[in-house]
Amino acid sequence: MTTLSLTGVAKSFGRVEVLRDVSLTVPAGTRTAVVGASGSGKSTLLRLIAGFERADSGSIGLGGTVLAAPGRFVAAHRRGIGYVAQDGALFPHLTVEQNVRFGLPRRRRDPVRVREVMELASLDPELAGRYPHQLSGGQQQRVALARALAPRPAVVLLDEPFSALDTGLRDQTRQAVIDALEASGVTTVLVTHDHDEALSFGRQIAVISAGRLVQSGAPAAVFDNPVSTEIAAFLGAAIVLPASPTSDGVDCALGRVAVRHDRTGGSEAGARVLLRPAQLGLSPANGTHNAVIEDVRPRGSHAELLLRTAGAAPALIPLRVPAHEGSGYHAGMTVSVTVTGGGVLYPAD
Amino acid sequence: MTRRRSRTALTAGLVAVMLGLTACSDDGAEPDAVAGASDDALVVYNAQHEQLTQEWADAFTEETGIEVVLRNGSDAELGNQLVQEGDQSRADVFLTENSPAISLVENAGLLAPVDQTTLDQVPAQYRPSSGQWTGIAARSTVFVYDPDELTEAELPASIMDLADPAWKGRWGAAPGGADFQAIVSAILELEGADATTAWLDGMKDNATVYQNNIATMKAVNAGEIPGGVIYHYYWYRDQDGTKENSGNTQLHYFRNQDPGAFVSVSGGGVLASSENQDDAQTFLAFLTGSTGQDILGTGYSMEYPVATGAPANPALPPLDTLQAPQVDPSTLNSVEVTDLMTDAGLL
Amino acid sequence: MTVTSVQTPRRAGRGSRPPAALVVVAAALAAVLLVPLGYVVSVVLDVGWDALEPLIFRPRVGELLVNTVALVLLGVPLTVLLGVGGAWLVERTTLPARRFWAVVLVAPLAIPAFVSSYGWASAVPSIHGLSGGLLVSVLAYYPLVYLPAMAAIRGLDPALEESARSLGLGSWAVFGRVVLPQLRLAILGGGLIVALHLLAEYGAFAFIRFDTFTTAIVVQYQSTFAGPAAGALGVVLSVLCLTLLVAEAGARGRARYARVGSGAARAAVPQRLGAFTPLALLGLAALGVAAVAVPLASVVRWLARGDGWAQPELPSALTQTVLLAGGGALAAVLVALPLAWLTARHPGPLARLFEGTSYVAASLPAIIVALALVTVTLRVLPGLYQTAFTVVLAYVMIFLPRALVPLRSGIAQAPVALEEMARSLGNPPLVARLRVTLPLLVPSLAAGAALVGLGAANELTATLLLAPTGTRTLATQFWSQASAIDYPAAAPYAVLLILLSVPAVALMFVQSRRWGAR
Repeated sequence: MTTLSLTGVAKSFGRVEVLRDVSLTVPAGTRTAVVGASGSGKSTLLRLIAGFERADSGSIGLGGTVLAAPGRFVAAHRRGIGYVAQDGALFPHLTVEQNVRFGLPRRRRDPVRVREVMELASLDPELAGRYPHQLSGGQQQRVALARALAPRPAVVLLDEPFSALDTGLRDQTRQAVIDALEASGVTTVLVTHDHDEALSFGRQIAVISAGRLVQSGAPAAVFDNPVSTEIAAFLGAAIVLPASPTSDGVDCALGRVAVRHDRTGGSEAGARVLLRPAQLGLSPANGTHNAVIEDVRPRGSHAELLLRTAGAAPALIPLRVPAHEGSGYHAGMTVSVTVTGGGVLYPAD
Repeated sequence: MTRRRSRTALTAGLVAVMLGLTACSDDGAEPDAVAGASDDALVVYNAQHEQLTQEWADAFTEETGIEVVLRNGSDAELGNQLVQEGDQSRADVFLTENSPAISLVENAGLLAPVDQTTLDQVPAQYRPSSGQWTGIAARSTVFVYDPDELTEAELPASIMDLADPAWKGRWGAAPGGADFQAIVSAILELEGADATTAWLDGMKDNATVYQNNIATMKAVNAGEIPGGVIYHYYWYRDQDGTKENSGNTQLHYFRNQDPGAFVSVSGGGVLASSENQDDAQTFLAFLTGSTGQDILGTGYSMEYPVATGAPANPALPPLDTLQAPQVDPSTLNSVEVTDLMTDAGLL
Repeated sequence: MTVTSVQTPRRAGRGSRPPAALVVVAAALAAVLLVPLGYVVSVVLDVGWDALEPLIFRPRVGELLVNTVALVLLGVPLTVLLGVGGAWLVERTTLPARRFWAVVLVAPLAIPAFVSSYGWASAVPSIHGLSGGLLVSVLAYYPLVYLPAMAAIRGLDPALEESARSLGLGSWAVFGRVVLPQLRLAILGGGLIVALHLLAEYGAFAFIRFDTFTTAIVVQYQSTFAGPAAGALGVVLSVLCLTLLVAEAGARGRARYARVGSGAARAAVPQRLGAFTPLALLGLAALGVAAVAVPLASVVRWLARGDGWAQPELPSALTQTVLLAGGGALAAVLVALPLAWLTARHPGPLARLFEGTSYVAASLPAIIVALALVTVTLRVLPGLYQTAFTVVLAYVMIFLPRALVPLRSGIAQAPVALEEMARSLGNPPLVARLRVTLPLLVPSLAAGAALVGLGAANELTATLLLAPTGTRTLATQFWSQASAIDYPAAAPYAVLLILLSVPAVALMFVQSRRWGAR
């Protein structure tokens, strides 16, 4: 169990700058999810850590060892870092068992370890003799994980390992993988574009955007206080309304809202407030109304309402309600929206 | 498990072979590694019929213990090749079907003088006065024809007649071969360049072109074409065997010192660059000696022996009855002939 | 080989700057491959245009040009018709015994063109000229279109044809407007190969008195060795070949030959032949008789006529053929490996340049390669003159694409990600390559070697000109016996040539079916 640390890492391909000044520490034995849109450079970050690419500048360290720094580069095969690729990248000419023991040194290829990691990855021992093309996608990913864990690496890197799987299989496989990682206590970095996956993966989340690491921290903390409205929207449904500061909060289209975090830096000139849909409560208007229903769209288990706020600068707010409540609303109906908890305040654009 | 193992074995084998190949390519640089012959074997550039020369070589090896390897090709190909190879040549002996090709090599100064004892075995008219090579065999030009198509009265009196429009589409030959090119060189020597050019132009219009003498004879036999210009021995060989390609045909000799009665001398010479001079001279002496010439008279070849006193196959008309024109073999010019034939569009 | 167009190349470009050593090796190989082209250029420069002009602009060259161009213009469409038609019949119709016909259609590939020509010439002696040339060459070469067409048809998604049908198109319209356009690359690729074969063929045409540039060059060579007249004809022939290559590249456009990734999800519903069934069967039977039965029957007939098997040269000819062809196959695979690696793993202008070079070099006929190597070894490297090394080098130059194409797709199927994975599991790069990539390449290496070996075993012209003194291969022995009209003596060599070809043809057949199905 070893701490992984990146300092000021940068990488360009030709003239395209893929990563710029990325610094990140993954404490020993913990899991970190790196999340970003496709093309944000997150996969490249993983490849730099694995040693498949060389960083242009900055350094990468593992425990007390410098893996990469100006004038120093430890080759991939000497790093002791396991890697699980998007499609599993199982060796097609080898059986499951041969894949799993591939990384074990010749003299230590004991069947015990193979069985152990297969069990860890909840793989049926009967699969040992099969070839990769005879496995389901979820099984392939678990074999890939077992293979990566077998040589007891200091760090395991997961590159979008669940994105190619079907929805049902994905959740099941993800849980199996998290359990296996938890049990083995290995330091882990996961790269994903799925915010739910990132937020539920481990102790830390790192948000990457256009090659820069824009925010990192505990998932709840990052979700609670995103550095920008874009990041807020990337991490989950976000409602951003123009707001004007008052003595005890801000005024917005939904009335007065308390400020949970202020990211304006004291700037007075206009502001926006971030709310999450979960903070909004909806009831049919009884006297005071502050919104009109524009549209009601049934969505099976729930209904999606589109609200137009009243007032001088109306805003459109999408909101979900359970299906059985949805039938109580119809377009043109006036409603009353209440806000619980505070919002995050950002400067205007 | 087994699948993996067999793959590993296959991979290992592949790598081994790759490494092996690198080693082999060194061996490959040694001459004759593929042929499996030893380095001191006599290398004969052979434009004569492979079967005949192989008969000679086998008898020679049996008599002397000297190994012989043949590089087979055509007269002009091997002659020009020797000229291009120059001192680099690996050849020890050059044997031709016709004299122009060996004259070409002689004129390039690449031949060593033939031992006098060898020359003494061959009458002067069958070898050049220079003594740089010697005749080893002779063959006569003939007109093979289909008696159903041509009566004796219709036969051409001279080979020159075949250029007349009357013969359009009625005769064939193999102008790509050295045999026919030797006949053209005789025409050139006897009739001059202008007459030869005119004759070749007529031939281009009249003649059907075949791959070689046998194919020409076979076409006449099959009734595809009334007549063809070839050398005599193809016909006699087939008559002696199955008659499959000549059963329906007869031979017409032009005689009367006509260019078409040309008797072509096959040459043999020793390369000056040869490192096996003694063996090479021994080989030439053997060819023109009684054993070598007897193979011509009794064996498969049906070509005429040239050495004094060597009898030809009794099936052949005696050489001195053919009324061949007098041509000094060393004057025949192969380069001008191919140029003229190229100009005429025959090559 | 050619299944569909891939417009966006695989994302292999990441860090795709190739290692310097690889570039140096590939550049050196490409330079060697360019020797024949360099020879053609040097003939023009050496001899000088003034001397060449009368040799090129003369009636004889005109005749050869008419013959050669007519051969290509008529022969290629005929092979496409037979190849595509045959592939469609056996893959997509209710033809009875489709598997049997699928094998019959590929069988002529195992009979070298000059053996087929020998069979025809001895069965029908009057056969000659353009019609004869077309007959034997089309029958010998249509499988070169049939195989890629079959692979392409197997890879087609039947959903496209079903959609077209649902839009109101009839069977013929579906074939013409949906199927045929998808076969474009297969047809172009196969057609180009056929055209290059037609230009390069010597033995088959010499037997039946059909003059093309290649036969005329051989005749010139026999009359003057590597003289200027042979060179001049070679210049014209080379220009023809390069023109074809450029024309095909132009018609292909930006689309590259590549295998489809996933292919058809299910088998197509076969087209009902109905009343056409007897006609189709009759046509296929006639084709089978003409392309396979006639040559084989001739060989068997001559075999029965004499004691050809008693020839003492047979065993050594067999051994030398296997050695030379095997050496050529291995050398070609070794040369193809770095070039294919470069194109598959480090695509870019440099890789395209080297790849293009190898195709240009291989498009020149064997006779040009042979003339070039005779000239170069004699003048520059006399130590290599008339050595097995030079013969093997010629085989590599002539047959390299046969190794390059399967290797390139093989390397593309062994993704870098797998090697990276092996490295992350503690294997140094070289070990990773040996443990992961090499095993995955074995089938491609074997396929490439088999295809080159097949070509080399049947090679005639370059072997005749370049082989060490005393070398006899099956092809040269067959040639020398058959051209002396000693048909019975030639027959055993024909049998051995066919038997040697069968495994490679079977391999090609299986590969084409599998490529299509995957």
